[in-house]
Amino acid sequence: MISPDLTNQFLAIVDSARWLDKKEQLFCYAYDAFVEESMPDAVIFPETTEEVSQILALASAHQLPVTARGAGTSVCGAPVPARHGLVICFSQMDRIIEINTKDRYIIVEPGVVNADVQAALAPDKFFFPPDPGSMDMSTIGGNIAQNAGGPRCLKYGVTLDYILGLEVVLASGKIITFGSKNIKDVTGYKLAALFCGSEGTLGLVTRAILKVVPLPETVKTIMATFNDLDDTATAVTDIIGSGILPAAMELMDQLTLNAIEDKAGLGLDRDAAGTLLIEVDGVAEACDKQIRQISQKLHANHAVHIQEAESAADRERLWTARRSAYGVFAKLAPDIISEDVTVPVSRVPEMVRRIIQITDKYKLKVGVLAHAGDGNMHPMIPADKSNAEEWERVMAAFDEIFRAAADLDGTLSGEHGIGLAKAKFLPLVMNQDTINFMKTIKQAVDPDGILNPGKFV
Amino acid sequence: MTAPPIQNCGKCGLCLSVCPVYQVLKQEQASPRARLQLIKAFEKKDLDASPLLKDLVSQCLMCGACKVVCPSGINHYGKFMDMREQLARSLPEPPAIRSLVYLLAKEYRLRMGAGLARFGQRLTPKFLADKYRIGNIPVHRFPTMNAAPFRQTLPDVIPARGIRRGRVIYFVGCATQYLFGDTGQATVDILSHLGYEVVVPKGLTCCGIPMMFHGARDRAALNMAANLTAMADAFDNGPCDAVIVDCTTCGAALKDEYPGLMDTLNRRPDPALSGRLDILPPDIHTRIAGKTRDILSFVHEHQTHLEMRPDLSPNKVIYHAPCHTRNSFNTAGTVTDLLATLPCFDYIPVRDTAACCGGGGTFFYEYPEIAAKMMAGKLCHARDADAQYWLTDCPVCRINLHGSLSEQDRLTVVHPVTLISRGLDA
Ligand SMILES: Cc1cc2nc3c(=O)[nH]c(=O)nc-3n(C[C@H](O)[C@H](O)[C@H](O)COP(=O)(O)OP(=O)(O)OC[C@H]3O[C@@H](n4cnc5c(N)ncnc54)[C@H](O)[C@@H]3O)c2cc1C
Ligand code: SF4
Ligand code: SF4
Repeated sequence: MISPDLTNQFLAIVDSARWLDKKEQLFCYAYDAFVEESMPDAVIFPETTEEVSQILALASAHQLPVTARGAGTSVCGAPVPARHGLVICFSQMDRIIEINTKDRYIIVEPGVVNADVQAALAPDKFFFPPDPGSMDMSTIGGNIAQNAGGPRCLKYGVTLDYILGLEVVLASGKIITFGSKNIKDVTGYKLAALFCGSEGTLGLVTRAILKVVPLPETVKTIMATFNDLDDTATAVTDIIGSGILPAAMELMDQLTLNAIEDKAGLGLDRDAAGTLLIEVDGVAEACDKQIRQISQKLHANHAVHIQEAESAADRERLWTARRSAYGVFAKLAPDIISEDVTVPVSRVPEMVRRIIQITDKYKLKVGVLAHAGDGNMHPMIPADKSNAEEWERVMAAFDEIFRAAADLDGTLSGEHGIGLAKAKFLPLVMNQDTINFMKTIKQAVDPDGILNPGKFV
Repeated sequence: MTAPPIQNCGKCGLCLSVCPVYQVLKQEQASPRARLQLIKAFEKKDLDASPLLKDLVSQCLMCGACKVVCPSGINHYGKFMDMREQLARSLPEPPAIRSLVYLLAKEYRLRMGAGLARFGQRLTPKFLADKYRIGNIPVHRFPTMNAAPFRQTLPDVIPARGIRRGRVIYFVGCATQYLFGDTGQATVDILSHLGYEVVVPKGLTCCGIPMMFHGARDRAALNMAANLTAMADAFDNGPCDAVIVDCTTCGAALKDEYPGLMDTLNRRPDPALSGRLDILPPDIHTRIAGKTRDILSFVHEHQTHLEMRPDLSPNKVIYHAPCHTRNSFNTAGTVTDLLATLPCFDYIPVRDTAACCGGGGTFFYEYPEIAAKMMAGKLCHARDADAQYWLTDCPVCRINLHGSLSEQDRLTVVHPVTLISRGLDA
């Protein structure tokens, strides 16, 4: 509970339209795209760095838990206010401050939606490579806090690779800025790496200078289908292993493909056991050459059908379908858990086999979806949380999937983050000293532990 | 027994990217996802009916954009309508909305109301009218009533001209009947020009969508019964190639909402309807639904039969795509294609053709600040385009667009059929 007196102090910082504390309103900030919920006591919408600083200073003085929120599309419970308190929602702090493609950067506030950054850059024929499936709604603040990736990160890298500088408000309300407009900058610690991926536990991002790159001259997309999922996964390893680097390489199994086809009706091959969606970009000649090389590898791995998208609209349709993959699963059962264990690409076939074995063992349905080129797997299990017995099997299966990934030199999460979902599995991939080191940093930066408490540190 | 399809929001958030209300307010409680969360909390009795809950649920245009994008196949419409109906039981709609629903529920009331309004419009002194606004729209920019209700000006059957190609039923909605007779006349002219005999059944009434959206589904069902009864004879007495609507919202009622409502009523019969639905020919609702076409895509499909005057000088036009054209009929592309093809148009694409204008039935009246924000960008782009006509195929959008323009703007808002019919070769 936030006292009336404290409420009034917050209302001295923002006007009443930017302060919510009615039960009906708070219900709408209890969730993200994960399955756990927890209600905040109030929600505040800052519009300036100054306001954020004042809000945090006040929260600190009252030891009030503070959880940042962008669009609430996290799939690990990261913006869910596990310890209640205040949610600071950045959706209204959404100005694009400067677009400078000559010097190859863009400066934005944290609430700007990823797709709006892309739209702002498009006239200059530039883009911001991180392209999470949620790009039409997720915010840059959320992308930074989760170090978001996406299909084309295979070639281009993830959000962290595109942060030139940040302005961050610390728990105390102090404002720090680091990095610069320069692509090269080794002045001091690379602090962006500390805050990017910290899931709002170390500080709140209020402004970002992002690196942008020119749009490739040509983009080509092909779709290949296989009669065997193992062949599909082996084709991935084979292509990447031979030194070809497509922009994106997505794997979908039969269950996933059919779920998508039910919604989108694109005429995808429902009988295919495995499908690869591959995109290459660059100058036209290089693209053609890459497509030829890739096709050879696909054939060598028994692809039954290879088809190239004929137009930009065609391509967009395929990617829209791919982006709907998470949502279409919600039709299969009341709840869906999607994980994102990641393994070195040579271990992809083995990991796919183990996921199938494990889910078979626990008699669960599984959809295997993967940003396969970088080994980032998204096994999705539809189930019913209210069925305790089934839910126990789901948890046991994920436990084994995490262990299998660790066993294959993999890691817990490629892009979704730890949040509420996977905190207890950290010891699988980190020793206690490493976990303690993270705690030491957290302790130093946020001594009262008010920032996103109840999460992985 | 087959289990009902799972209607489960996976909270993926995709609907945030298309919801016009969320896009303006940028607060989660204004999003489709949040409305579903609130409905769930209400069903689980975690939340009671309250004015705030009602407000959060009603702050919605019922535009259907969320339903189209939702990968989980949620029927937002159905859920929102159920919820509105439940809330309306303990929390009545505001008087102005109630009287609108009351008015629309019975054709004779509408007719009387229209008579009075026509009378009133002539008498309202200009200085008084200027002071009053409905939502953001000054009273003097509201449309004037048709001199006579449109259907009264028509014979029951309008013969085909030239080669006879078929027969259609024309569902004349209330906006055309009382406000925009020009749209109706143009629609009839085009259809008969194309070689179709046009039947306008007697006894049609408001499609019922306004009642459905304001929690009065029982009244909507009575209107449905009246409309299906009115159309059944014409539909079964001769081949019917299409049931034409000039308004895609009425179209959505015939095509989607009537079958949905019939299903509900089959499961939970309403005693008030006994003797009204059981007398209908079997499956008439689904057969009519299957034939329901909007006039513009009908013209698009038959454009080779359209003979336009050779001396036409094209009108510079821009287009506003109404939500039901986009989301229920999925024909916004067909319409722009038609505008780009026909010689009566010099079509200028504007960036936000598909952005919502904030009309949304009565939304522009209930939430004028939100509606104004939605309109602001559209107005700028529309003015920049330097066109003569702003075309739209929804009467509420037409009221809202015209009402938001001012005398200085030289943009005339009409239904595309008006310009098509003017260009026909007699
Ligand atoms: C359909 C779907 C597809 C997805 N696809 C991908 C994908 O391909 N790749 C991928 O990486 N992720 C994906 N995600 C996950 C999610 O979209 C990303 O993690 C995204 O970056 C979250 O952004 P958001 O604005 O929704 O943040 P939120 O979910 O609101 O918040 C996420 C975290 O960021 C913190 N935060 C938010 N703003 C700030 C700020 N200004 N300062 C500090 N911390 C802040 C929050 O406290 C929270 O811990 C997907 C999700 C969905 C639903
Ligand atoms: S798009 Fe559908 S599943 Fe996703 S949040 Fe919206 S309503 Fe829920
Ligand atoms: S119907 Fe339209 S306004 Fe209402 S929630 Fe859906 S997208 Fe938003």
